[in-house]
Amino acid sequence: MAIHVKNIKKQFSDFTALDDVSLEVKSGELIALLGPSGSGKTTLLRIIAGLEFPDSGSVLLNGEETQDKDIKERHVGFVFQHYALFKHMTVFENVAFGLRVRPKKIRPSNIVIREKVMELLSLVHLDAFHDRYPSQLSGGQRQRIALARALAVEPRLLLLDEPFGALDAKVRKELRRWMRRLHDDIHITSIFVTHDQEEAMEVADRVVVMSNGKIEQVGTPEEVYQHPANAFVYDFLGNYNEFSGIKDSAGIVHLADFDSKQSKPIEGKPVKIFSRPHEIYITNKKEEGEFIEAVVEHMNPAGPLVKIELERKGGQLIQAEILKTIIKNLDVKNGDVLFLRPETMKVFE
Amino acid sequence: MFLGLSFVAVVIGLPLAAVFTEALRKGLGAYFTAISDEYALQAIKLTFLVAAISVPCNLVFGVAASWAVAKFEFLGKRLLVTFIDLPFSVAPVISGLVYVLLFGAHSILGEWLIENDIQIIFAVPGLVIATIFVTFPFVARELIPLMEEQGTEQEEAALLLGASGWQTFWKVTIPNIKWGLLYGVLLCNARAMGEFGAVSVVSGHIKGSTNTIPLHVEILYNDYNFVAAFAVASILTLLALVTLLLKRAVEIRTHENDK
Repeated sequence: MAIHVKNIKKQFSDFTALDDVSLEVKSGELIALLGPSGSGKTTLLRIIAGLEFPDSGSVLLNGEETQDKDIKERHVGFVFQHYALFKHMTVFENVAFGLRVRPKKIRPSNIVIREKVMELLSLVHLDAFHDRYPSQLSGGQRQRIALARALAVEPRLLLLDEPFGALDAKVRKELRRWMRRLHDDIHITSIFVTHDQEEAMEVADRVVVMSNGKIEQVGTPEEVYQHPANAFVYDFLGNYNEFSGIKDSAGIVHLADFDSKQSKPIEGKPVKIFSRPHEIYITNKKEEGEFIEAVVEHMNPAGPLVKIELERKGGQLIQAEILKTIIKNLDVKNGDVLFLRPETMKVFE
Repeated sequence: MFLGLSFVAVVIGLPLAAVFTEALRKGLGAYFTAISDEYALQAIKLTFLVAAISVPCNLVFGVAASWAVAKFEFLGKRLLVTFIDLPFSVAPVISGLVYVLLFGAHSILGEWLIENDIQIIFAVPGLVIATIFVTFPFVARELIPLMEEQGTEQEEAALLLGASGWQTFWKVTIPNIKWGLLYGVLLCNARAMGEFGAVSVVSGHIKGSTNTIPLHVEILYNDYNFVAAFAVASILTLLALVTLLLKRAVEIRTHENDK
């Protein structure tokens, strides 16, 4: 189902949750709403579901205005962060709920319900657990039941609010891979909310980055990561270092150098330079060009790259992730003075 | 611990034992004569009648009020919560008096009531109204924290799955609060049957007509009819003990449910 969100505004007393938000989702897409807490992503999801109403603006589902539509008529499947399973019902009854509450005329027979529920339970690999109660299941299993329950009513749109937020890291990774595969199989238009950029990048077709009730950028994971629209998006998508820089009249960006007093001050416009830790180049001898001088404070060799924390004169901390072989060749130790330079950088004015 | 136990023994155990010894002082025969006395039976009947009306009223009202307070945000919510607590903070005698002033012969409402031949004060309706007022907080107070803790997610999930408001209430909300609700009803019932102060003011103590068990006990006692007084009191005591047992059973069930 195609979704068209138009100029939505939502205010909670003196807090602006959504400030003129517009978004288009194509049918069959898997979209991630990514942002820190308080960015409005959950409110947007709840408004699309019909659990919350916008102060102004509208939501169109398949081109139809939803303003006067009941939650029921939207045919939306919703998965909550804390599962919201009915704890007094068995797994089977939880999944069957949406079918059992239908008006008599369109309610399927018990045999059909049974078939359908068992089919869904085997889809989430939990058919053996049909007579258990939610309290007897692990978090990951509960979330899969919640998903099966949402799918039972054959929604045209699936909304997931931080679906993996309450799970531990390993289960979370497993489940999001599984969700991606599931989406590839059934192609239901899906929107999920997350504050985990890795999760958004790995699962979604397109990522919507939000902050302070506004959409900062919409794009494929690659677009958003490679070409962040602004400093916020860059910041949110990973660790980074920030340097001050100067853009001269020819448009060339120089590192603002307060380390060596010998070089001539460069005239130009001050800019912010951003660089990821793995984009830092280091050396132990001063070479040609602009370098920043810093002292090695801490090294963490666990993992494929060595994580180094360096302190610049003036106290700024710089994070660098360097290949193990380079560290070995340069024979880097704590307390060494190194010269570094961002190899790739993003400049925001 | 010893101090605690002896305190309980002196303050609660002794009087409890005293009720039954005094009631049976002149043998079982006198005991049964006392409780099968015409006025005693009428008092028992009236007590059950008042409880049978006021407890269901407060059940419905308590559930509705807690549902509103716990699941919705609205203007005047705090005021409602304060009103629910009011009967706890007002002395029962005062609340009885307020009803006398409100519905009595000398009030504005009273004149209208007399003209239309409706009797509230010194009649069963007065007893019921006073009892409802006094026992009003029990169900709501029990349910509000429980429902607030449970939040609204399960209800939202039910609505999103296509359930109507009514279906959501019966299939999701009620099963989640049933043990807390039963607990509240038990407390409410115990209080409804044992209430003295407010009922005393509105009753008028008309023998065989507006006397509930506690009022009947008082009359017997004031007439120096100690055996009968304690015999009738023992019925209330037994009711209290049954309530305690049921309450304990509910507590065990709730505990198991939480696991």
